[in-house]
Amino acid sequence: MKKIKVTLLDIVEEIKSFYDYKKWHFLTINGVALQDNMLEVQWIFSKYETLEEIVIFYVEIQYEDIIPSIVNIIPSAIISQRELVDMFGVEVEGSAKGLYLDKDSIQMPLRGCLL
Amino acid sequence: MFNFKKYRKKSPWILHYNAGSCNGCDIEILAALSPKYDLERFGVINTGNPKQSDIFLVTGPVTFRSRERLVELYTQMPEPKVVIALGSCTCTGGVFRDMYNVEDGIDRYIPVDVYIPGCAASPELIIDGIVKALDILEQKTKKMEKPLKLFQDASTKDGIINKRDCALKVGEKDEEN
Amino acid sequence: MKKTINIPLGSQHISLLEPVRFKFECENEKIVGVDSDVGFVHRGIEKACTTKFKYDGIGYVVARVCGLCAITHSLSYTVAIEELLNIEVTSKAKYLRILLLELDRIHSHMLCLSHTCENAGFEAMFMRIMGDRELIMEIQELLTGNRIQFDYINIGGVNRDINLEVATKIVNNLDRVKEKVMGYVDEFTNNWSLSLKFKRIGALSLDDAYKFNAIGPLARASGLNIDVRNEIKYLPYHEIGFKMQTHIDGDINARNIVRLNEILNSIEMCDNILAGIPEGEIQTKYKGKPNGESVVRFEAPRGELMYYVKANGTAMLERVRIKTPTFASIPAFSHIFMGENYADAPAILASFDPCLSCTAK
Ligand code: SF4
Repeated sequence: MKKIKVTLLDIVEEIKSFYDYKKWHFLTINGVALQDNMLEVQWIFSKYETLEEIVIFYVEIQYEDIIPSIVNIIPSAIISQRELVDMFGVEVEGSAKGLYLDKDSIQMPLRGCLL
Repeated sequence: MFNFKKYRKKSPWILHYNAGSCNGCDIEILAALSPKYDLERFGVINTGNPKQSDIFLVTGPVTFRSRERLVELYTQMPEPKVVIALGSCTCTGGVFRDMYNVEDGIDRYIPVDVYIPGCAASPELIIDGIVKALDILEQKTKKMEKPLKLFQDASTKDGIINKRDCALKVGEKDEEN
Repeated sequence: MKKTINIPLGSQHISLLEPVRFKFECENEKIVGVDSDVGFVHRGIEKACTTKFKYDGIGYVVARVCGLCAITHSLSYTVAIEELLNIEVTSKAKYLRILLLELDRIHSHMLCLSHTCENAGFEAMFMRIMGDRELIMEIQELLTGNRIQFDYINIGGVNRDINLEVATKIVNNLDRVKEKVMGYVDEFTNNWSLSLKFKRIGALSLDDAYKFNAIGPLARASGLNIDVRNEIKYLPYHEIGFKMQTHIDGDINARNIVRLNEILNSIEMCDNILAGIPEGEIQTKYKGKPNGESVVRFEAPRGELMYYVKANGTAMLERVRIKTPTFASIPAFSHIFMGENYADAPAILASFDPCLSCTAK
């Protein structure tokens, strides 16, 4: 497992230069709540037909930051982005709310301790 | 003449709705319908149409988004109807109890006649539960067919008897006692 | 004037086992747009894993994400924790784990095949496969004590030992299943009316499979060599004769053939395991609390399953991320529906073998 730290500004460029769609398999986008209102967002990739090769790009952001969308590079990322929006209440370019949550459910459930 | 009421018990149709279960109990329903357990020998058919079914088989703790559909399906079914809660998580919430997007069990929304516990409930239990539901279905049919006796309440104006008012009166009496 | 009409499918429909709602935009018979709503079964398991349960019980909770691939879920979670705690599992426990994993795959694939047949209107085949599937359920019950939710795997090993009687029974039943599956192969390849329903319908090309990151039988039917069993090392799959099954057509028929071949391969692997199961303990002792983060992938019957676990040295975990197979393939599903006939939609949907309770968690 290789973790690469990037900044929010050049994440799209970084993924664009890294991602070769015949070589790398896009797994998912993951969010991890950190201390002090910070959020770690991870883009996870694995290599086709190789033993245990996983690459994670991650950024650490505030909840107010707008996360750029990578749908132009990887079309199947759209569903992970919608989940991220629902679960953490962050804003991702061009992703709508309401994949899982209804109006009267608890909003942003994974953000801190609510229950 | 062909008597529909008499044969309702012999061929009940099932409506199955998944209100957020883990699929475990749903595949056990399929297994119960398949040749080894053969629920169809009781005349049971799994339909997709609420307007034609007699038994409502629900699995899963009710999730927020399926609440509306659950109640809607229930109201669309014709009387008499029997509701079966299948699986531990349908009866009480099970492992999902107190998670943020579920209501704990379907009896918060619709009245339940038969509870089938087990995670996952085995096909034998499902058959047992459905056979029990058939008895309840028959009782309900009988109850529905009985003529309703309304008693004359001296205090009502003009002697008009309102069924709902009578029911309210009875309820008040109960509370007093 | 508007040329298209919208036809909804779901959320409650006879051809669906689970609640999902598709809205098809149709022009005459052709589907030109798809909109899906998959959140009907969202329960909030990821949150509960970090607030309600301690780390040693979560293996049984995540099994309830999905009843069909319950074993893969608890196995992936357990392996993630074992990596953090540095537990070395005995080789007997490892083989028992693979055995159950493959049995689970066989019964899940059989369910999918029967369901595809039912949605194509072939009720007799549905009943036939469901009847034969009971042979597998029987041995699962013998081996673990329950038919669906096994709760067989715990941290450090497995919960029940296997004895000679059970092993013989498993071998016998697998032999019988193998014979039956041979019969299905014949039916699926030579039946003319089934081929009308299945051939060249719902096709996904290899390039699209790469682009949309398709996984599982869906991708392998298009010729994409992705099988996590080939890419992991904590289970000794290479020792027991794992073979990648692919096809080139990418249509419903290809998916069925891939599934049938996988069943045959799984039966072969189970036989190999039972022929040489090692002696030893089934449980290793462990102590300590997990700390750190780990990513674990496994091949569920429907494709790749990923667990991300982050722990901080206490009994409560910080984050559990579950990436389930169907969740990742939803963009591919929507892509395949484009340009197909509406009448084929239920059959195509069944051939994906979608698992919505996985998707929404
Ligand atoms: S009772 Fe258990 S097996 Fe059945 S639907 Fe609920 S969680 Fe799944």
